[in-house]
Amino acid sequence: MNKRNKKWVSVVGTHFYNLLDFGILAVLLSAVAVFILYPLLCIVKNSLWIDGAFSLQEYSRLFLKNGRLLSNSLFVACLSAAGSMVLAAAVALKVHFAPKKVKGLLMGLLMMTMVSPPFVSALAYIQLFGRRGIITYRLLGLSINPYGWGGIVAMQSLSFVPLNALLLMGVLSKVDQSLIHASRDLGASPSHTLWDVILPLIRPAMLVCFLLSFIRSLSDFGTPMIIGGRFNVLAPEIYLQIIGYSNLPRASAMNMIILVPALIIFVFYRLLMRNSLFSASDGKTGEFQSVFHLKGIANLLLTILSALFYGMMLLQYGSIFVGAFTKSIRGKLHFSLEHFEQLRMYNSSTLVRSIVYALIVAMAGTIFGMLLSYYIERRRIPLRNFTDFVATLPYMLPGTCFGIGYILAFNHPPLKLTGTALIVILNMIFKQLPTTTKTTSAALSQISVTMEQAAQDLGAQKFHVIKDIVFPNLKNAFLVGFINNFTSAMTTVGAVIFLIHPGKKIAVFALFDAVNSGEYGLASLIAAFIIIITLLVNLGLSRIIMRGRR
Amino acid sequence: MKRLLAFLLSITAAFGLAACGGTGNNASSGEASSAPQSSEAPSSSAGSSEASGEVAPAASNGPLKVVTTSDAYQVLFDKFTEDTGIQVEYLSMSSGEVLSKVKAEGGAPMADLWFGGGIDAFMQAKEDGLLEQVDFDGAADLAPEYKDADNHWFSKGLTVVGFIVNNDILAEKNLELPKTWDDLINPAYKSEILMSNPAISGTNYAVVNAILQTKGEEAGWKYFEDLNANIDYYSKRGKDPSEKTVAGEIAIGITYLDKAMEKLQEEQNVTLVYPEDGIPYVPEGVAVFKGGTNADGAKEFIKWFYQDENLREIIPLDNKDTVKIVKPNLENVELSFPVESLMKEDLSLFGSQRSAILDKWNTMIGDKAETDE
Repeated sequence: MNKRNKKWVSVVGTHFYNLLDFGILAVLLSAVAVFILYPLLCIVKNSLWIDGAFSLQEYSRLFLKNGRLLSNSLFVACLSAAGSMVLAAAVALKVHFAPKKVKGLLMGLLMMTMVSPPFVSALAYIQLFGRRGIITYRLLGLSINPYGWGGIVAMQSLSFVPLNALLLMGVLSKVDQSLIHASRDLGASPSHTLWDVILPLIRPAMLVCFLLSFIRSLSDFGTPMIIGGRFNVLAPEIYLQIIGYSNLPRASAMNMIILVPALIIFVFYRLLMRNSLFSASDGKTGEFQSVFHLKGIANLLLTILSALFYGMMLLQYGSIFVGAFTKSIRGKLHFSLEHFEQLRMYNSSTLVRSIVYALIVAMAGTIFGMLLSYYIERRRIPLRNFTDFVATLPYMLPGTCFGIGYILAFNHPPLKLTGTALIVILNMIFKQLPTTTKTTSAALSQISVTMEQAAQDLGAQKFHVIKDIVFPNLKNAFLVGFINNFTSAMTTVGAVIFLIHPGKKIAVFALFDAVNSGEYGLASLIAAFIIIITLLVNLGLSRIIMRGRR
Repeated sequence: MKRLLAFLLSITAAFGLAACGGTGNNASSGEASSAPQSSEAPSSSAGSSEASGEVAPAASNGPLKVVTTSDAYQVLFDKFTEDTGIQVEYLSMSSGEVLSKVKAEGGAPMADLWFGGGIDAFMQAKEDGLLEQVDFDGAADLAPEYKDADNHWFSKGLTVVGFIVNNDILAEKNLELPKTWDDLINPAYKSEILMSNPAISGTNYAVVNAILQTKGEEAGWKYFEDLNANIDYYSKRGKDPSEKTVAGEIAIGITYLDKAMEKLQEEQNVTLVYPEDGIPYVPEGVAVFKGGTNADGAKEFIKWFYQDENLREIIPLDNKDTVKIVKPNLENVELSFPVESLMKEDLSLFGSQRSAILDKWNTMIGDKAETDE
């Protein structure tokens, strides 16, 4: 009797969970269609319908005229992506294998460098390494020109490291220990073990780092704008078309050129990922400093690279914090609390609004991204590569353009969202979606499919497989996604400047305003506030998640 | 599942064609002329807001939404709220951003009032049919050169342009302080001058336009070719020339000048130069958007703002008293520099020549917009 009852329940349950599974998928796909594909179609359309008629005029000379810009963009993107991938790998390995006490400190610093307030970092770079820079001029007596591709590559490589390193560390903690044991037992040196065992194991994650950094570099217009000098790339030029000429059709068309290299790199990435899918974590995972120590040349190299990174970051953030409490008078710094006085003109509700938005974006965006990534990687959903590509698109466009796309799409019925908080939040979520989906993909590539199959064979529903098998194994990915989403929601200006409603300002706009009125001390102080708050939230969350794992 | 996807795709495509098409058409017809289509939107939105709040007369349209250039104007907006009871919400954006945003919004702008920003953007906006005509009694007292003939835009003062010079670098390189625009083309200053791209900076566009008008087309372009030889690159932010001069990255920056900049002379080793052969200038605009939800409040603001006592409020906020030029009979305000030192500019050509001048400019500077590593 009892048995029969159970069976009946399970039949109903099966239907229910199948429906739920289908429902989740439908929501995911339609959200991607409405909030990514549709605004992008509007941008495409904007570039083709000029003055009310179909025209290819913006495209006809586009590639000819912008060939140089395109090759510059590619050049910088390749170098920045490679540079930041290598640095991030060094930082991640050093932190992962560091003794417990040092590890906490390094992690904390890494978390701080995640928060990179716009403009202030680039300005700090000029303060430090410019013609009258504290390091280059006062310390070394050099008067060098920091403007050009070198400056852009250096700044981008450094600023992309924290996200990449967090991603790699998450993956490292899932590496199967028995493989490392085996390698050492068979007589391989630590350097060889690193090179032949550990690095190949984290290869998918390294690829993800490269892809994310590459497209992030393509779409970054702030860094080249401030320190590019004569060296020009595509993203700031698109920004110029929007800001200088209000030429939306041309800006829209130029976006399409950015998508070409992005598409090529994406196809490569997909191919490489397919070849390196494997399962690793059936064995013991986690801390393995008990059996493995970094030694030799490899260790030296990693130490130099991560010291370089931490050194640069300490300088950069140091100068922001120093700037908050000082005033420069005729080249000499004086301690001053003047900026605190100026801070009074800003409303605290602005800061609260920022935090609320960022929390919503972080929660909703991360869960959405993880689910989407799961369906793309593990279920044979139709057009999975296409969906994955579409979901990656917003990350490739300069933020300003994605913002314009949202105005074009959502300023009219049936979906009039402009002026609401919702449109700002949605824009933030979808702009950053790829970091979550890609981080999750990297993590998923390390979780054995056999576990899910086993659960299903034992009768678990698809929904339960996600809830009980997949998600608990993705805590690190969740953490990286959450931190990235929260941080970028606290610090982006580009995408949302067109969507924020008067009177509904967020904190980063106060920073923007201070920078624009040349109030660097005040800008540094606001930046310091944003850094501290974001850091506290990020650290707090990591604590909770890390504790939950034990 | 394939069906589901196909369904979603087709819905998206339909959306794209329907709603998106509406947007595109609206924006572009607004661009072609001040078409009736874009004036439809305001009447319908005004109608709906009237319907929602029939009883309360004045402040029924919600707060007055302002896009402005700086958060410093909050003081002024607070006084307006105090005097009229109309709440103000504002956001700071550059004029280029405002123009692009309002164009994209296609007749349903998010803001009602546009306060501050280079007049070239306002002229463009008027041409695109994005601004509302505002007739009020005080308009007759304003100097006619600094307002639109049809009352689509007004100005709240002038941005004047000169140089900021880093004395340390000058001394290091053994250079003299430049005093005129003509001084700047001296080859001794090669690679020591920074100017913003005139497409981005209304201030630097004013320089180009004013010098072309003063020197005449031919001599003017010859001048900029010579100047171009001294300039390594054009910055993409309006603030860059003054910032980078103060930081010692460059010796001379072409920049706007006001009292806040003058204060820099006390704190930093820099000198401000008001060029002896004429000061280029650009009026800072004020206008009401067509189709905003609170156009009445915005008009009310303009009437209120051009009363003498309120105009005087802006002097400390803007760090300059050029509002006196805009309203010559403004009492108890004296201009800190003689009006005669301004360059002769025909503002009516300011907007209409913009795209032609910028095109020619881009051809002239050639590779400096791009790279030549």
